[in-house]
Order: sequence, then structure tokens, then C-alpha cells
Amino acid sequence: MEIEYDFSSELAIPISYGSSEVIETGKWGFEKPETAFLTAPCQEACPAGNPIPQFLYLAGEGRCEEALETILKENPFPGVCGRVCFHPCEKDCHRGQYDEAVSINAMERYVFDVTSNHHPDIHPISNADSKRVAVVGSGPAGLSAAYFLRLLGYRVTLFEARKALGGVMRWGIPEYRLPKSILKKEIERILQLSIDVKTGVRVGKEIPFEELDQFDAFFLSPGAGLSLSLGIEGEDLKKVWRGGGFLDRINSGDKPRIGKEIIVIGGGNTAMDVARSALRLGSRVIVAYRRTRAEMPAIQDEIHEAEEEGVRFEFLLLPVKISLLKNRRIRVKFQRMRIRGRDQSNRPKANPIKGEYLTLEADGFIKAVGEGVDLSWIPGNISKNGLIDVNSSLTTSNPKIFAGGDAIDQPRAIVTAIASGKKAAISIDLYFRGCMSEDGFSKIRVGNKGALSMATYLSGKDGGNGSEPKDVISYPQINTLYFEHSKRIEMRKQDRNKALKGFSEVNLGLTSDEARISTSRCFSCGTCNYCYNCYFFCPEGVISLDPLHQTKTVDLDHCKGCGTCAKVCPRYVVLMKELS
Amino acid sequence: MKEFMTGNHAVARAVRLCRTPLIAAYPITPQTPIYEKLSEWEASGELKGIMMRTESEHSAMAACIAASLTGVRTFTATSSQGIALMHEMLHFAAGCRVPVVMANVNRLLAAPWGFWADQLDSLSQRDTGWIQLYCENGQESLDTVIQAYKIAEQVYLPVMLSLEAFFVSHFMEVVDLPEQERVDRFLPPIDLPHKFDIDKPGFLVPVVSSELYRKYKHMAQISVDSVKEIAVRVDQEFKKEFGRGYGIIEPVMLDDAEVVIVTAGSITSTARLAIKDLRKQGNKIGLLKLRLFRPFPVEAVRVALRGKKKIAVIDRNISLGCGGIFCQELRAALVHSPDHPLTYSYIAGIGGTDVTPEVIQKIALDVMSKNEPTDAPIWVMEDY
Repeated sequence: MEIEYDFSSELAIPISYGSSEVIETGKWGFEKPETAFLTAPCQEACPAGNPIPQFLYLAGEGRCEEALETILKENPFPGVCGRVCFHPCEKDCHRGQYDEAVSINAMERYVFDVTSNHHPDIHPISNADSKRVAVVGSGPAGLSAAYFLRLLGYRVTLFEARKALGGVMRWGIPEYRLPKSILKKEIERILQLSIDVKTGVRVGKEIPFEELDQFDAFFLSPGAGLSLSLGIEGEDLKKVWRGGGFLDRINSGDKPRIGKEIIVIGGGNTAMDVARSALRLGSRVIVAYRRTRAEMPAIQDEIHEAEEEGVRFEFLLLPVKISLLKNRRIRVKFQRMRIRGRDQSNRPKANPIKGEYLTLEADGFIKAVGEGVDLSWIPGNISKNGLIDVNSSLTTSNPKIFAGGDAIDQPRAIVTAIASGKKAAISIDLYFRGCMSEDGFSKIRVGNKGALSMATYLSGKDGGNGSEPKDVISYPQINTLYFEHSKRIEMRKQDRNKALKGFSEVNLGLTSDEARISTSRCFSCGTCNYCYNCYFFCPEGVISLDPLHQTKTVDLDHCKGCGTCAKVCPRYVVLMKELS
Repeated sequence: MKEFMTGNHAVARAVRLCRTPLIAAYPITPQTPIYEKLSEWEASGELKGIMMRTESEHSAMAACIAASLTGVRTFTATSSQGIALMHEMLHFAAGCRVPVVMANVNRLLAAPWGFWADQLDSLSQRDTGWIQLYCENGQESLDTVIQAYKIAEQVYLPVMLSLEAFFVSHFMEVVDLPEQERVDRFLPPIDLPHKFDIDKPGFLVPVVSSELYRKYKHMAQISVDSVKEIAVRVDQEFKKEFGRGYGIIEPVMLDDAEVVIVTAGSITSTARLAIKDLRKQGNKIGLLKLRLFRPFPVEAVRVALRGKKKIAVIDRNISLGCGGIFCQELRAALVHSPDHPLTYSYIAGIGGTDVTPEVIQKIALDVMSKNEPTDAPIWVMEDY
């Protein structure tokens, strides 16, 4: 090391005019900071592994188009999920332990809504060995599988029995929750990837199942649209509607005449959709459920909104008989129930109270108690217990047949269906490349709850560095001293009276100010959001940050390894690693 | 123009008169009125400089050093724990040869906690390379600030002046305020040679070799020693301009004195009164006031005390395990003088306890009655 001094006798002190950078103070250290992103709990909880902290950061910076593209790497349906997802992400949000969870669901919708004119830059990777894959059914699982298979470079043919695509998103969810225009936009974006679409083609009817054999692999996602019988007297009466059928008619633009007073049976999201749709047709609605409110599987917000809109709930009631009265009304006899013990799936079990009954009268009865999978067109050897039977890689007993969505044994939700479409696409790729193994999935897992990352998979596949799975950040690892308490922001809603007059969307989304506040509330657990704490606190001034390109560099020649950056990082992104 | 004011306000007034452009400070009792007064004037526009409110005394001194290196006059004021916290930066200031001026209001050092007058805070900093001056009253404090700049800017060394808590800092006295034009004439704008140049960036305090370190320390020692002459000259120039002077030491009724009381700071005023009474009683007693402490005016002291029989040094401070600090310095200064007087060490006024004329008379009678001095200091308590 050489430093130039000025020792002239004029001066009583030495001054150096050379740069002190020649002294490589970095060699003094025993530790070096490493930027190690960890998986946020929201991301782990999301079945689709949505990179939530990343997209919230970009949205917070006003970079919504990049935020959209970030989500699209893992989920082709931000507009749909931003509206109808049961958002387990918010339940696990670390901010929820501090004050209230971040409005992640509303933000996903916001990102989609404000980028409606943007054409995101998504394109398939080049795949010389372009095999052909058939996808049967165009619900969230089928469309996601088609989307991710295209990203992986395969040729995809999509078979849909009905005249329009979307499955449960198109025919099951009412317009006031998910406008058709939103769904249309999402599907159009997916189809831009060049997918061969065959609508009005029911496999097993218009074409035989065997015809799928010409494809190198196929993915079955027919959904669950088969009416299940309650097995009670009077179930076949004309005044008894099937929930799915009722919603299908509404979503086809019909206004079925169901009568002034309606009893809806069920406690899931279908029951809530049915009840709230019936309200919009002018009916008074009672929802009868055999367990209590606490056991209702529907999204809490949906239950709350149904109640707010005027749906009456009756709990611990099991219908046992429906009879037609002379005045053309119906009478429903309910067995009173109570909660005792737990069933095989560990849910509280409803047991009848001997001899206690209740009778209600109404003009119509809608059963929304879950539906079955039509397996009539499928070879018997790939089904089991009324579902398509798959292993953990979503493969059936036939190695070239894969399945997902509501037709397999998994929670019935849009986002889980999307997740199964993604997993199947990866599975099919592994199958084609002859390297199917559990390890293939564990390397791309997002946390430990089953979510997978397509972005990580692609980075490994494309000759890039498929990074190892990251740990999930725990709440104590967040330095909450850096955050002020603040209130969560909820979406504004349409005026109730106006909302009940039709099927226009109830939730109105966030304003840009509300979105800004919502993103600023995110702890960005384990993900750098360029807060500049490390930069400001670094005593050596050796940290450079580039938020635009999302890079961070440390001048290791001059970093003494003091660890200040790691201590002041609010989100546990900087970890000190001992030098060997 | 004469005004009735506290010692603190006299210091603040002096800083304003010196047109100091950068003041960096942190409040601490009993110094705070200096800080407050300068802040008030900054707000009203009467102070042309900037009051930089730092988060600690350590930072205040760092700010003064940095500002001084841009070539401007700087000032800070502190006390007690504040100067203790500043310690590291005091070495830097002296080592960087910056002419920073600081007023230290002498307050005891914790623990136990207290706010009272005691000189240990500034005396603890005697080895930092700062020039130190001890002031007797408000007038002298004001005048010493002005002199301090003139000394500092000639030798490129920082100067600290000390005034005792409450006895000087808060007592109101009549202070003769110099006219601005005269201060401007006495203290023209400065142009420091080693100021930073943005066109030729450099950095200070680089690592140096052992030999270079020794060289700079030696240069500093030569500079500090030169202050004994410079301070005398500056004081004479000051007297010429303003009609008042203090010297680096002040002999009072020493010519025929056999016994000499030695003091520094506000006890000197009381001692002036006490020896007058003792003289009336026929005692051949005199007084020596120490004003310059660093560099220690060895030669001047030796000359002033030549031929005296006994001296009694009154210390409002204690270096535990040794004794009063002024006494130690004095004994060291006299050691090469043949037939030097016997030195008696008295600890009085510690922790702000009152040193009345009666206490000083008691000390004088005590020293006159003794034939052999002791090594250990004598603590003057109520029952002594």
C-alpha cells in the first residue's frame, strides 16, 4: 500500500491526497454479508407460490406492469385470484402478528386492474423437442396447465366440452364476484401463447377418450359438476334446485324463477354464491347448515357479506324430508343436530339429537352441498372413490395421464386448482425428460406447504442456476422496531341497496393512495425492498443498491464485516457468513 | 458599554463579538445558558454564525474539527460529563492542529451525581494537547474567549477556557463589553493554511509510521511551548486595545511576601480579600493567580516565587492517589530551583463547597504555623 503524503514544512499535520481505497480494509474482516432472500410466510401459504413481497414492492414503487409480470411467472390468474381467492396468504402474514395483515388479495386485484392496457412480456422457452400435450377441461387447473406447458415450450391442445372457456370461473362464480370481462381478459392473455383450443368438444362424446392417445401426454381437469344426491324424500321435486345448475343458469344470463322464499342447504362457497345470487333475484334466503358457523368452509368474507346483505343463517340443521304443499310451496323437515367429537378428517362431527326436528316452509330449495366428478368417460383404472386417482406428482396409474383441479383429492379452490395445473405441467416436463423424481419438486418448493415455483424451475431448466429452496422466515426474525403500527385497508364496496338490485361487482378495489399505503405496510419478509437501511448505516459506505435492476452489491475489498447491515435490515435479508 | 450579566452570557457575548461562523454544541448544565443565548441570537439574526445542534459532545467536537478544517473560526461549550465524553475528539483536535475555542464550565464529574463547581473535568484533559486558561470572573471569561482565538490561530492549537459552575457561570456581575469594531481590529478574519480544498481533495489523519508520529508530536510540543510567549504577547496587545490585561500568571502583593497563597479561578477573588485582611494583621503574605495552565508557565512561576519561604496551593480538584493537581504542577515546576519554597497542598472547594475568606485565612495561618510540609494534601473541611 502506498499513500501519498504532504509533509511540507508549512503544515503541522499530514494530509493524504491519494485515495484510501488502496487500503483493502475488507481483508481485516472475519465475516461477510450475504444477501439471502428467504421465503415469506404469505408466499409459502399461497398454493400457487405467488411471489407476494416482490410484487408488492414493485406495486409500491408504481411499477405495476413489472408487478403483474412477477405474478404471471407463478399464476396466470391475478385478476381472478385478486377477486375470489380465499387468500391463505393473509392468514399467515407476519404483519398480522404485529397489527393487521397486509391487504394482499386486494393488491393482487389492484395490480391487475391498473395494468389492463399492458401486454406483459411472457413467452415460451424454446423447446426443440416440442411434444404435444392434451388438456381436458378449461377451468383454472386446465388453463393453468396449458399456460405453464406453453411456457415450457410444449404444444398444447385444450378440449372444452362447453362453448366457452373458464370452467367453474365462467359457470360457477357469479358476476358480482367475478365479472366475465375480467375472466375474458385473463383467458385471452393465456391464449396469446398459441394454444390450440377446441371448444364444444366433450371427450368421451364428440371424440373418444382413446383419441387422446395421439398426444404424448394428457392432463385431465374436468372439474366437479356432478350433482350428488342427498338421499332424502322429495329431493326430486321440481322446486328442488341443484346449486351448480342454478349458478350455471345465472352465469348463462338467465334469471330463473325460484320463488319468494328460498332455503339453501350448505356451508361452502357455492352455498354463499347461491344464497347471494338468490337475493339478487329478489328472494328472501335462509341458509341451513348442519354444523355451526365456525365449521363453515366458505371464505369468512363471503359469509360476512351474505349476512350483511340479508341472508338468514340457521345452524345445526340437516334436511330429512321435502314435501310439496297444496299452495305449491314446499315444507322441509330438518333434523336438529349437535356437535360431538370429530370425524375421520378431524372436523367437528354433527350428530342428530334424537327426536328433535324443525319444519320450515319456502317456495324453493337449493342444495349446495358439494358436487361429484363425472367419471363416466374415464378408464376405470385411473379413478378411485369417485375421484381421479393421482400420486404426489399428479400422475395416474397410466404414466402419460396426469390430472388436477377439483377432480382429484385436494381442497376445492381456484388457487389450489391453479397450483395443480402448474405442478402437472412440471410433472409432464419431468416425465418427458425422463427425470421424474421427488427431488425434482423439492428443489423448486416455496416453503413447506406444497407450493412450487415455476420461475425457479425454469431458471434451472434453461441451463441457469436453479437456486436451492429457501427457508421460511419466522416472525422473530423481523426487526419490527422499524415499523409503525397502522390499520389495514379494506376494499370499498358498492352501496348495498344498489348491489342487491343486480349482479354488478360488489368490491370496488383500492384507490392508488390506498394501494400505496397497503404496499408500504408490507414487512417484505425476507425480500429486499430497497429500504436503504443497510446503505445508510454502513460505516464503510461499501453498499450499492440499484432498485431499478433489483441488484445489490457490496465492495468486499473494503467491507470489514462489521455486521451493521445485517443488524439494521428490518427484513432479515442480510446474513453474515463466516469466512473460511 | 457596561452590562450586568452572568459569566455564561459574557462568554456567549464574546463568541458573538468574535463573529464565529460555526458553533456546534450539546446542552449540559451549567453550560446550557451559553448554548441557549447563542441559539436565541441565531433565531433573532443577531448571530451571524450557525448553531449546529449535535447529538453529543463527541459529535460537537468532531463537527468543530471538521468545520475548522474548512478554514473557519469555530466554538463549542461544554462541562463535566460532556467534556469527558468529548475526550477522544480532544486529542483529535489537538492532533489535527485546529484552532477550535471551547468554553468549559467547571462542574464535578460523576459519580456521585452533582452540578457543583470542581475543576477536575478540565484538569483531567490536561494531556490532550489543548491550551488551558482558568478564568476568575465573567469579565475575564469574556476577554479570554477573544484572546483564545488570537492565541489559537497563531499556533494552530485548540484553546479551552474554564470558568467555574455557578460561582462564575451563573453569578451576575458588571461586565464591560468591548466595541465590535475594536474586536474586529484585534481579531481580523482568519485564513488557515491547512484548510481543505475542494479542488484538491485529501484526507486527514492517515496512518503514519512511528517516526512520522514522533515528528508530529515533537512539532506539537514545540508549538505548545511557544504559547507561553504568545499568550503574554496577546494579553499585552489586548490590554493596549481594551485597557485590561491578566498575564499568564498574576502576582498579588508578592514583593515582600514570605508566604504565598496560590489559586486558580474564582477562589482568587476571595483570596484577594483574605490576604488584605491578613496583611492588615501584619502577615507577610501574597497571592499568586495561575491563569495559563497548559502549557504550564514554569519560568514565570519560578521567577514569581523566587526567595519565598512557603507556598500554600489551594486546589478545587483532586487527583486521587496523588493530590491537588495545581500543586503537583507547581512542585514539578520548582524542583530545579535551588532553595525553592516549601509547598503545602490544600484541598478546598471540592464539589462546589464554599471557600470563604475565613477558609483562606485558616489555610494561611495553618501554613505559617507549620515547619515541614507533608506529601499528602490537607483536606479543608468544616471542622478543620
